[in-house]
Amino acid sequence: MRGDEGMTTVALRINGVEHSVAADGRRTLLEVLRDELGLTGAKRGCNQGVCGACTVLLDGRPVRACLSLAAACAGHEITTVEGLTEGNELTPVQQAFVEHGAVQCGFCTPGMVLTATALLKENPKPNVAEVRTALSGNLCRCSGYRKIVDAVVAAGGAR
Amino acid sequence: MTLFLEPRTVAEAVACFRDHPEARCMSGGATLVAMMNAGLADPPAVVSLRRIAELVGIAPAADGWTKIGGMTPHRVTAAETRLAGGQAIVRLAAGRIANPPVRNMGTIGGSISFSDPAADYPAALVAADAEIEVVGSGGGRRIAAQDFFVDWYTTALEPGEIVVAVHLPPAPRAAAAYEKLVKTEGDMGIATVAAVVEMDRGACSDLRVAVGACGPHPVRLRESESDLIGGRLDADAVARLASRLAEALDPVDDVRASSDYRRKVVPRMVARAIATARARAEGEQ
Ligand SMILES: Cc1cc2nc3c(=O)[nH]c(=O)nc-3n(C[C@H](O)[C@H](O)[C@H](O)COP(=O)(O)OP(=O)(O)OC[C@H]3O[C@@H](n4cnc5c(N)ncnc54)[C@H](O)[C@@H]3O)c2cc1C
Ligand code: FES
Ligand code: FES
Repeated sequence: MRGDEGMTTVALRINGVEHSVAADGRRTLLEVLRDELGLTGAKRGCNQGVCGACTVLLDGRPVRACLSLAAACAGHEITTVEGLTEGNELTPVQQAFVEHGAVQCGFCTPGMVLTATALLKENPKPNVAEVRTALSGNLCRCSGYRKIVDAVVAAGGAR
Repeated sequence: MTLFLEPRTVAEAVACFRDHPEARCMSGGATLVAMMNAGLADPPAVVSLRRIAELVGIAPAADGWTKIGGMTPHRVTAAETRLAGGQAIVRLAAGRIANPPVRNMGTIGGSISFSDPAADYPAALVAADAEIEVVGSGGGRRIAAQDFFVDWYTTALEPGEIVVAVHLPPAPRAAAAYEKLVKTEGDMGIATVAAVVEMDRGACSDLRVAVGACGPHPVRLRESESDLIGGRLDADAVARLASRLAEALDPVDDVRASSDYRRKVVPRMVARAIATARARAEGEQ
């Protein structure tokens, strides 16, 4: 994997597709996604792990793309919001966000949707408290969270 | 340019630091990469421990000790029901760290190596009487948790040494309670208290209490604890231990709380942690 002068060629599996990217050892997954592959769904907010705007799924679990070195993600399955469905279809979580007006500026939305998607896979009918805990690492500056939580609870079909 | 190295064994990892003395070790990366993003670290090489299979997982040993591999993420430790009795203190602390995505990334080895005094593991490991297993070019050694956390962001690790595991001694008849006071759920603690209590027919047979986030390293007063062994953990005795602990702290004024405030709340947190652990030890819950 190691090439000349620290440049590594990293094979990343993103949304089911293999990508071979040249990455310096310090390049983050977020930089590769946005700057190299044009997958701008993952947002760069704080770049410090605090806001959750950059959330992607690594082997189905939410992680911070801004704190993940791209080279360390080889061999894992990466899912971004672009990979949730094909074409213009929406997943149940996305549909619920639309129906509940859970999107305002949209900056936090990809991270929220991915975190919620991972939650519903583990816990198909979460209650309000479980949704709040799962989303507690994703900040939203617009919505006050209520509609987002309602959307995820509805997508799970509880109450 | 930063070189990215992925050793497959601990021995290979140790060799990486011989070849690249300025390299930084990476476990979950949740702190190291944040520091690199902020320009606070610019290592010529990163030695990722991710591919070292022997570092992951929690394994009870026949003698009652439990080994937590350094690369075990907080999510796994927080869910490990075999961390029972007094060992449960580490599970309880893991469950209070940050939020689910950070618990998916961060590891016990990375957390204690960074040794943020406000982090959740240090006080829990001191109360658990844990031993930290480290390996370097000179071989391996075990360090008592109390001696591992030396100062602000400073551990007993020598250059080139890496944390490979945390070992917890058995305490099957004890119970644990973890108190973390936060401004908002998921934040680092204003103060934390880890308590392990064992009761024998109404008398205290083991007591270990460590306070975190109130100085450069966790504070535990073994002599004051032993004054309570054999007694009934009555309110006065607990209050004496709590106020001695508060006096021994070296808290700072920071964005989360003032030093005075920390000293005020810690005795109450100590009393609550001991009461909860005691109730659990006596089977009330
Ligand atoms: C938003 C956010 C909130 C957080 N909140 C909390 C909280 O509430 N409570 C809490 O306790 N923690 C909290 N943390 C810290 C987090 O949980 C991790 O503990 C932390 O990121 C370190 O673990 P890591 O595995 O990511 O370490 P890394 O980032 O990989 O490494 C941390 C440091 O230790 C060194 N290192 C790593 N592994 C080893 C090793 N095996 N041997 C020797 N040196 C090593 C690295 O070189 C680096 O200096 C938070 C982090 C973030 C980003
Ligand atoms: S950009 Fe990654 S958490 Fe904020
Ligand atoms: S909708 Fe704007 S940040 Fe959440």
